Amino acid sequence: MGNAISNQVRELRDQHGRMTQQALAERVGVSRQTIIAIEQGRYSPSLEVAMKIARAFDAAVEEVFELRV
Amino acid sequence: MNLSFNEKSAIGTLVAITAIGALYFHSAWQMWQAGVLQPQTNFGLATGLTILLVVVLIAYHILIAIISRPEDDDERDRLIAWRAGNAGGLVLGVGVIGVVLHVLIGSFWDDPVAASPVLIVNALMAVVFAATAFELVLTLVFYRRGV
Repeated sequence: MGNAISNQVRELRDQHGRMTQQALAERVGVSRQTIIAIEQGRYSPSLEVAMKIARAFDAAVEEVFELRV
Repeated sequence: MNLSFNEKSAIGTLVAITAIGALYFHSAWQMWQAGVLQPQTNFGLATGLTILLVVVLIAYHILIAIISRPEDDDERDRLIAWRAGNAGGLVLGVGVIGVVLHVLIGSFWDDPVAASPVLIVNALMAVVFAATAFELVLTLVFYRRGV
């Protein structure tokens, strides 16, 4: 399945004290499997989840997610 | 391979319905060949194997719930269930219409399926099994390949 949206979630986790996938999942309110799928580009989250992820990193959504043209 | 509770559930359910479905249709076919497949015997066979399927699925889900703590479904789980369910529903609809058309058209000549309520029931059950198996396979594909 193609995914037109790339993201920096893994890099941002590393930059934020090696935040674990589980910790991010709990802050965002999704399963760890979903965080893994997002990092691997197998799932594009909803706008709500994308904004929650960005908020967890104190970043803007476009700093975390990018539309690949 | 790191599998979620939902993936383990889909794998176990797929294996169970494939195995018990094969057992059911193999038994029904043998009874048909022997000329003993009547509505009563078919009902008994279907009821017995449905109970077996339910018991197997309950035991399996208790086991995987103990091994891997189930999590609440999130938006990805719901999207996968919705897409796989839609595709499974499409297979079910096409299959049921196919059986109905077969019965209608087959009634113009001596088609055995059209003439036998037991065979019609089994054709519809085959459609249900196929649609369920397709939905479960798609669920696993969506979890592994992306949705």
